[in-house]
Amino acid sequence: MIPRYQRILFWSLFAGIFLMSAFLLRGCQQAHKRLAALNDATPIAAPTATSTEDVTLYLANDTDASITPTTESLALPQAPTLRARTLLDHLLSAYSLPTSKHPLQSGLAVDDVFLLGEPTNGPDKPSTSSIPVSSPQARQLAIVNLRGSFVDNHPSGIQVEALTLQSIIGTLHAALPEVTSIRFLVDGQPHDTLAGHADLLRTYPAVDTTVHPAPPTETPQL
Amino acid sequence: MTLPAKPIAARLLLAFLTSLAALPVSAQQPLPRTVIFLDPAHGGSDPGARLSDNLPEKTVTLSFAARLRAVLSSSGFSVITTRDSDPSAAFTTDQRAEIANHSHPTACLILHATAGGNGIHIITSDLAPPDDNYADTRHAIPWDTAQSASIPQSVALANTLGLALLHARLPVLLTRASLRPLDNFTCPAIAIEIAPLTPDDGDTTPVSDANYQQQIAQAIATGLTTWRRNLGAPVGVTR
Repeated sequence: MIPRYQRILFWSLFAGIFLMSAFLLRGCQQAHKRLAALNDATPIAAPTATSTEDVTLYLANDTDASITPTTESLALPQAPTLRARTLLDHLLSAYSLPTSKHPLQSGLAVDDVFLLGEPTNGPDKPSTSSIPVSSPQARQLAIVNLRGSFVDNHPSGIQVEALTLQSIIGTLHAALPEVTSIRFLVDGQPHDTLAGHADLLRTYPAVDTTVHPAPPTETPQL
Repeated sequence: MTLPAKPIAARLLLAFLTSLAALPVSAQQPLPRTVIFLDPAHGGSDPGARLSDNLPEKTVTLSFAARLRAVLSSSGFSVITTRDSDPSAAFTTDQRAEIANHSHPTACLILHATAGGNGIHIITSDLAPPDDNYADTRHAIPWDTAQSASIPQSVALANTLGLALLHARLPVLLTRASLRPLDNFTCPAIAIEIAPLTPDDGDTTPVSDANYQQQIAQAIATGLTTWRRNLGAPVGVTR
């Protein structure tokens, strides 16, 4: 005959095992959900919650070396840095489409865009742009941090590299008028050139980069 | 009435000293010459663009520079180049600009080649032309914007060479870009980027084609001859 206290002990232990099993099972399920959430690539801020707006993309064309402004409707975040990054990613991804007139390889191109307040230039500093900067108010410096993979796969040549930079500069200028100058980094570091030619060390003025090169004329325009 | 002898003597002495002082200044003027500076881009460990599987840009720029140098020499130009071989350690872009700025050439040509596009791209610096308000007050020339003062002459040079290439039935695009050492030159300067010749109806001519390169070289020599004639007499430095 099993004593009563032993039976109580047995059932108590049995209940404890059952509760611990249930606790472990619940813990495993929660850990699984947490790991699955980390692998989810869904954007945290769903763009569907934002209304679309008209933005101007400055699209390059290798055939005639032109930059043409084109208006598109896009859903963009409101935060300026996120807005600039999303816009540039959209612009550069358009160049990887088969119909692109300025073909670039597909893939993410822009790591970050930083906006920094810029001190107002004194009267002794001339503009280095061929087009004067119009708005002296709320001056900001945009730093575009390009991905190394984008730079490594960019076609090499003066014209093709210059068109990419002019496309980025014109698009940023149209979307963020407070940006007056733009610098470029690659993987967070200064980089000499985009793909061996176009200068990435200088500060570019943020201006309208629309251009349609004219053929040579008998009467040169100085 | 007696003439004031001391003031007259002082004036004569001043005039004499002034004429003596003027002699070394005129002797320092650059001798009349037409020097063209050629910079075959890249070289050494920097191959430039890959134009085909085994053809780097540095090889094409070097071969074209040799061809252009021969044509220019036969047209009466003095030519300075930054390289006539492929050294293991090529000049940096800053060193190339230093050589050009010290030699005071009439025109500076940077030679590039690319696998994309069509014909010849003539590029001038996209720096702003000089501002009259600052022209007289700034004594030092900023290195990064040294080309700024020569932008009008560079644009005119690009136009003249563009016309010569068009007359040779070669497609030309005149564009602007920011490029080293183009932005650092103090001479009228352009970059010439040779792209394959891709006619609408016909085979593509690669940039390595000898006849294609010879056509371009002849047209550039013709354009530079016109440029020299438009300048008046052969001159040295254009500041």
